Amino acid sequence: MSANIRNFTELLFAMTEKELRARYKYTIFGFFWLVLNPILQMLVIGFIFQFIIKTSIPYYNFYLFLSLLVWNFFSLSLTKSTPSIVYERSLIKKAKFPRAVIPLAIILSNFIHLMIACVLYLFLIVHLGTLTFWSMPIIIAAFLLLYIFTSGLSLLTSALNVRFRDVNFFVSAFVVIWFYATPIIYSFDFIPNEHIWLWRFNPMVSILQLFQHGMLNFPLPDRGMLISNICIMISIISLGVFVFMHESKNFDDWL
Amino acid sequence: MKSPTVLQLKNVSKKYEIHHEKPTLVEKFVKSKNETFWALSGINISIAKGQKVGIIGANGSGKTTLLKTIAGITAPTTGTIESQGKIVSLIDLEAGFHDDLTGVQNIFLNGMLLGLSKRQIMKDFQSIVSYADIRQFIDAPLFTYSYGMKLRLGFSVAIHANPDILLLDENMAVGDKEFRKKSLRTTEEFIRKRKTIIVVSHWVEFLRKTCTRIIYLKEGKVKADGNTHIIDVYLKEK
Repeated sequence: MSANIRNFTELLFAMTEKELRARYKYTIFGFFWLVLNPILQMLVIGFIFQFIIKTSIPYYNFYLFLSLLVWNFFSLSLTKSTPSIVYERSLIKKAKFPRAVIPLAIILSNFIHLMIACVLYLFLIVHLGTLTFWSMPIIIAAFLLLYIFTSGLSLLTSALNVRFRDVNFFVSAFVVIWFYATPIIYSFDFIPNEHIWLWRFNPMVSILQLFQHGMLNFPLPDRGMLISNICIMISIISLGVFVFMHESKNFDDWL
Repeated sequence: MKSPTVLQLKNVSKKYEIHHEKPTLVEKFVKSKNETFWALSGINISIAKGQKVGIIGANGSGKTTLLKTIAGITAPTTGTIESQGKIVSLIDLEAGFHDDLTGVQNIFLNGMLLGLSKRQIMKDFQSIVSYADIRQFIDAPLFTYSYGMKLRLGFSVAIHANPDILLLDENMAVGDKEFRKKSLRTTEEFIRKRKTIIVVSHWVEFLRKTCTRIIYLKEGKVKADGNTHIIDVYLKEK
């Protein structure tokens, strides 16, 4: 049993390393892109949005940048891992190994990007005075929820995509709608009160609000939001794990 | 002395849904019933340690499906497969490589896919490289390799995975003449070490020479199971 877990983690790390290496292979800057990428994003957002959008949201640049970092991790992980099993069919045909490492390695490699970007981001916002000691547990909780939810959902979509290749297109389209259904370019208090129940179905709301609270001292998600979001997260994650375990035995039949 | 059973297939069946085109979500709901095809039905085989089993049968008789289910690459629809020890398949040798990674990185990735730990791979690394005979290319990305080199690397990693049960097909003699000799020698060494070997092949002479037991598959069922005389039965029927 413990040997299985060790093999799983070793394989997961090896696949993650493969993901990162393959991405930055033949680039002049190599792994420096890990840092360069978020800096470029930051510059663009900071420069353009300052002139274009005038809002009442405090620290709007920082707000937008944080929300986009988190969202980009989520949407990129989801859209890349959904077709991953199909793309890695040669691995599936090779041997018996825990299939889950394929989508999970993509998510882990993106998560490493996110962590690096967030460390850089912390240097930027430290002068705002929004960070306190109590930010730490909130930020850690936000990271955990984000990571687990993204993994659970990706297990679901990547497993379903093996049989129904439509899932990939559906996810790409849905992510765009999802973007506007999440407080990223607007803040949570822009949502009209009578429609807030709609946002309760979107687990990304709580995750973003936790990040925004932890780093920029925006309000925490209210209790109703947190409870309904977490319930939905748990259902999606368990469904994802269940479907993946059930389908992964027969991936080879559909590839 | 009777050798212990290392592989036991009980009533194994495998059903495939025939998809002429990839089914879409809509089709799934519109068309309630799918065409199905039983690639294997009711297979009962028990293989003892050290047996050399040849599997013969016409194309489409379920040979490859049988090996895939034994290797755990796909699960049987019904029935159970119990095995002891590590099973390594030498089929699809070039699978599981990544073209952008170097030979070194691919050895590690491939070895781990076959269930080796990082430590084991590091220990056997020199041996894997020298067996595959790719020398200075080891640090080059895999897309610079020839097909033969990839096969050799795949073969080398697989035999270093220390299999207890080895699954082969007739393409196992890979690469040029020199390497083919070497791979046959290695196979013979496995035979001497009393490893269990299962071969799928049309290469009758090889089966006659290496195997002690032949299983004849026909339309997904075991038609005959016994010593090498089965080969003659099969040839006559064909």
